[in-house]
Amino acid sequence: MAVAAASTALVLAACGGGEGVDVDGDAEPGTEAPESPEGGTLIAGISSQPDQLDPHVTTAYASFQILENVYDTLVAPDPEGTFEPSLAESWQTSDDGLTWTFTLREGVTFHDGSEFDSADVVYSLERMTGEESSVAWRFATVESIDAPDERTVEITLTDPTPNLLDNIGGYKGMSILPEGAAEDLDLTTEANGTGPFTLDSFSASGATLSAFADHWAGAPTVDGVEFQFTTESAAALTALRTGEIHWTDNVPPQDVQNLEGDQDVEVGIAPSIDYWYLALNQAQEPWDDVDARRGVAFGLDRESITEATQFGAATVNQTAIPADSFWGHDYAPYGYDPEQARELLDSAGVAEGQTLGIMVVTDTEGVQAAQVMQANLAEAGIEVEIQQEESATWLDRQGEGDFDAFMWSWIGNLDPFGFYHAQHVCDGTFNFQGYCNEEVDALLEQAAAETDQDARKALYDQAAEMIVDDASYIYLYNPDVVQAWVPGLSGYEVRPDRAINFEQVVLPE
Amino acid sequence: VTRYVVRRLAQSAAVLAGVSILVFAVIHLVPGDPIRVALGTRFDQATYDALLERSGLDQPLVTQYFSWLGSAVRGDLGVSFRTGQPVTEVILERLPATASLAVAAILVALLIAVPLGTVSALRPRTVVDWFATVASQAGISVPDFWMGIMFILIFAGTLGWLPTGGYVGLTDDPVEWARRLIMPAVTIGVVSGSIMTRFVRSSVLEALGQEHVQAARAKGMRARDVLTWHVLRNALIPLVTVGGIQLAYLLSGVVVIEIVFRWPGLGQLALQAVQQRDYPVLQGAVLLFAVVFLVVNLVVDLLYARLDPRIAYT
Repeated sequence: MAVAAASTALVLAACGGGEGVDVDGDAEPGTEAPESPEGGTLIAGISSQPDQLDPHVTTAYASFQILENVYDTLVAPDPEGTFEPSLAESWQTSDDGLTWTFTLREGVTFHDGSEFDSADVVYSLERMTGEESSVAWRFATVESIDAPDERTVEITLTDPTPNLLDNIGGYKGMSILPEGAAEDLDLTTEANGTGPFTLDSFSASGATLSAFADHWAGAPTVDGVEFQFTTESAAALTALRTGEIHWTDNVPPQDVQNLEGDQDVEVGIAPSIDYWYLALNQAQEPWDDVDARRGVAFGLDRESITEATQFGAATVNQTAIPADSFWGHDYAPYGYDPEQARELLDSAGVAEGQTLGIMVVTDTEGVQAAQVMQANLAEAGIEVEIQQEESATWLDRQGEGDFDAFMWSWIGNLDPFGFYHAQHVCDGTFNFQGYCNEEVDALLEQAAAETDQDARKALYDQAAEMIVDDASYIYLYNPDVVQAWVPGLSGYEVRPDRAINFEQVVLPE
Repeated sequence: VTRYVVRRLAQSAAVLAGVSILVFAVIHLVPGDPIRVALGTRFDQATYDALLERSGLDQPLVTQYFSWLGSAVRGDLGVSFRTGQPVTEVILERLPATASLAVAAILVALLIAVPLGTVSALRPRTVVDWFATVASQAGISVPDFWMGIMFILIFAGTLGWLPTGGYVGLTDDPVEWARRLIMPAVTIGVVSGSIMTRFVRSSVLEALGQEHVQAARAKGMRARDVLTWHVLRNALIPLVTVGGIQLAYLLSGVVVIEIVFRWPGLGQLALQAVQQRDYPVLQGAVLLFAVVFLVVNLVVDLLYARLDPRIAYT
């Protein structure tokens, strides 16, 4: 806090000086104020390598760590998940909820100096609905995108879509590019955005960003950001200690406790919106029986699972959405109770010694979780067989329904639509577990069209309870976001959605 | 010799064709669907079908192979499924990093193996020999990634002499290039050098026992000259063989060391290509590795003739 205050004072001092450049040279050596009191290049070590930088195509988190700082979206979530103006200054919804009118910010320029206007928005949104786009599904209810004038964009919908802001601004996958960008640039390695930093280079060894002086919200405090790919966590932490890097997200959960007493490293922790769950194959006996699934849900000791996977750096949750969120709902019917588990399994006709294959991806925390589940469920008479698959094979088997159960996570959802809809409606894209409950479908459809926030939350709460009771997913926990940086670094906030924004960051002296 | 080289190159082409067929068959047989991986969490059947058709993966394997081969002979290795970049570009981007590391590591290995192996052969069953044997055994046994992390903790962490990792191009900044090269090169060099030490020792021992060495000694030739001209020269042949194999192996990337030292090399590229089922990149990388092995072997065979005049190629 002290550092933040001091640097604010420096900014004011520099501004107070106006145009004045110190030419008389009587500033004492050692106390001279550099032209930009902050400045410097922030070096960030991220734990994996981005596949490519086309915001509408990539799905890799590592890519978005970089893109977050290069592009803007029409609206953007604040750390609590509420949407705020970004390239759109304001917006209005028609009474029927089918037309959204966005008024665009003035005086915004792209990194190449060209002016931002409504044609760029129409171009970008249309590109997002295209065949190669990873985010096309977010525009399922969008009928047309029009630009009545340079500062206005109108989105017309086929059905009311209360979560439209999340769909068009939840993360940088919906970045606004200048019109024709895909033809003018190789977007896999180049960028031209409106964000606080310009992309100078991107290669197998890293990415280099420079401050964009003409950014609409003001130039960033640092001169640039260099991203390095620090895959090995011991090496990343050593690099942090030696000051080679200033920031990293490669902090294994087991190191958190040790690092908290470490003077050379500052650790930032925030509960995330990600969640881990277990899904049983409901197209298959005996897991088509709700009692059999509930039996498994009662047979799991979530505290031990969390301890084993995250060393406590996680919050146990029996629904998907963390309690801190506006959409969080406190509902936890399953206490760890092997006896009740056995009773339910008996009533579903599941014999002692029933096998259950749990499919997990190798080298993920799913493996540790499955080991704890194996011990837990043995007490309820279920023999767990842990099936480790690398992700490509895992996805294949998931898609083909070739599993008893799988453990996996969902990341980056903000709106309850993203948390519950496609996973639990009968013909949902991600409903690999084969769940189908007409009542839940009706609730989820109704919630998806409800424009009153409180009424909408009530509907989702109701749906969530049924999903939990039916054990469509058996929810386990929300992991924490853990990041670390050099002491004295300020102006940075760990966010539940893991967005990494270096715009305001100030390096230590 | 020219005729020999031409014949060898012709053989190499046949080997490459065989390798490419084998790789093609194997990677397509491994379970895991590249389109499904590329789509990840945004899977839907319509997109899937469209991508499948566009990628040509719905064609019969034989058709796919020949269309790949047709482009490959013209130098076009296709486009990465994962990044959309041309495969040749992706590989060439990483080649300098891998080549720097491989060459530096072999130099370190030779600097360890030749003196250590020679000394221990000259003084068999002494403390020196015993030390060399234990040291090389240790170098082989210690896991390389662990040694790498220890080096980082000591030389970058505690002592702060070297950066923890990362790669800087030789042409961008030669000093930084060298500083960053030291730790990974030494880590690999210790392992390779330990293996090579044992070859040097046994081949020097063998050479020492030969008649012409005895004869040279009897002639009253100085011990140093005997060693240089009669012993080491003969001992070089097995060393060149082992060194060549080691070099070719290092040129195909060293995944674990690359990860530990943030080295953007070919090993990580190939590993990611396997994980992502990025067939074009994997195919291109394996083809390159095969070429490297063939070229290194050819050079090794030609070196034999230089080292030992009795070996002649026709």
